[in-house]
Amino acid sequence: MSLVAMTIAAQNARSEGAAHETAPAEPTAFRRRSRWLRPALGLALPVGLAVAWEFIVRMGWASGRLAPPPSVIFATFVDLARTGELQRHTLVTLGRVAAGFGIGVAAATVIGAAAGYSPLVRRLIDPSIQGLRAIPSIAWVPLFILWLGIFEASKVTLIAAGVFFPVYLGLMGAIQSVDRKLVEVGRAFRLTDIEMVRRILLPAVLPAYVLSLRSGLGLGWMFVIAAELMGASEGLGYLLIDGQQLGKPAEIVAAIVAFAIVGKATDWLIVLAAAPFLRWEDVVRQD
Amino acid sequence: MLALERVGKTYPNGVHALGGVTLDVDLGEIVAVIGGSGSGKSTLLRAIGGLDPPSEGAVVLDGERITAPHEKIGIIFQEPRLLPWLKVADNVGFGLGARPRAERAARVATALKRVGLTDKAAMWPRELSGGQAQRVAIARALVPRPEVLLLDEPFSALDAFTRADLQDHLLDLWADAKPTLILVTHDVDESIVLADRVVVLCPRPGRIFDEIDVDLPRPRDRQSAAFDFVKRRVLVALDRSLNRAAGAAEAEPKANAGAALWW
Repeated sequence: MSLVAMTIAAQNARSEGAAHETAPAEPTAFRRRSRWLRPALGLALPVGLAVAWEFIVRMGWASGRLAPPPSVIFATFVDLARTGELQRHTLVTLGRVAAGFGIGVAAATVIGAAAGYSPLVRRLIDPSIQGLRAIPSIAWVPLFILWLGIFEASKVTLIAAGVFFPVYLGLMGAIQSVDRKLVEVGRAFRLTDIEMVRRILLPAVLPAYVLSLRSGLGLGWMFVIAAELMGASEGLGYLLIDGQQLGKPAEIVAAIVAFAIVGKATDWLIVLAAAPFLRWEDVVRQD
Repeated sequence: MLALERVGKTYPNGVHALGGVTLDVDLGEIVAVIGGSGSGKSTLLRAIGGLDPPSEGAVVLDGERITAPHEKIGIIFQEPRLLPWLKVADNVGFGLGARPRAERAARVATALKRVGLTDKAAMWPRELSGGQAQRVAIARALVPRPEVLLLDEPFSALDAFTRADLQDHLLDLWADAKPTLILVTHDVDESIVLADRVVVLCPRPGRIFDEIDVDLPRPRDRQSAAFDFVKRRVLVALDRSLNRAAGAAEAEPKANAGAALWW
């Protein structure tokens, strides 16, 4: 989107600049304005729709009972937050995702690294893992419940299983596709095995690894809902079910909004944590 | 002194790339290795560098047999092969890992100054042009002060102007510490501009066909008659090295079967 937006913004700025002021002072002003303008462009559609729906309900053209207008959702959200309900459920869900993500990532990192590094390990375990990957993780739920009970362990395991596969695949693929020529540079400078991993392999696989962590986290959020929908007494997923059973659509939407906020925030944390290590990347920048 | 003793290489897939090369290179000498494709130029260089140890014979540096990369031997590849996640200065200092920070910084700064890229120290490799990147690679190889520097067609990916520029630059840098240079190239001009001696290899398997001393004063004028004279000698040798591979097959019945596989 950035290229198109940039071109459009640049054209706008150019015509405005020509109309009002002389050219030299114009670029900084344009940049300052576009820093707010460009994200705002993306908000136009959802905000527009929300305002339109609010208006329709206010005018009495629709009841808004099953699809509550933004003001009602906001009020519900604030209500839930004021009683502390929202925070409690969010924290429980967050805890489950954190535990499942941690376990899944740890396992995937160790096994993925081994499979990427050693052809023997890869031949030994990769076919089995690829076979398991073909099974939708939700299919394991009955078995997990039989094995681990209906409480936390089975939920966390399901999330961990969901997180495992993208991270495993991403890391293994990244290690296998490390530039042989750069490894040779390491050899020419007589790096030890540990140095080779730290100074060549690790930085080389980091971009792909971070990407796999992000898709793993996305799956983690998906599976936490699945786990909580299937039976939980707290958590955002419980809030969804609760809203359904008591006929409170605003509560459902409020829970969904909370999901979106926490999901986006955790994804952003990964991006933020990885950013200092990935500044070298030769990519088309989005800024 | 660097000594190659009947160095041969047969790859695991059966390709006989190098068939016994014997060559002595004095300290500080610049040797250019030139030959047609399949003459084992790069194989020879990788054997000297310890990246692909020879399957027959030995590479001996100062009495020590080379079977793995050695601290006295530096390598410059055809591509710069800079590590994209390190700033230019850190790339240059890559081979100084174990040394104290201050010494590392000083030597990197000197090297960058020598290749004229001091202002690029804090840049990422992706921000450099091809010629600049190769200069950084040269600095990286020179910073550990190798006794032998191997160059595998180092300028072949660059345009003609940049290439000539870097050739002169390489000689400048060489004059600082006078390491032994072994340069693999397929550019006859380049071999004569740089080398004290041009070694012509003939293909399949790679063997030394001829050695031509380049007894011209430096800096060498690419336009001079003496340069042209040497160039013609190298070109003739190169030509004959390729023809003879075919001629030898006819003359020696034994070689016929093997040669037939290649044609």
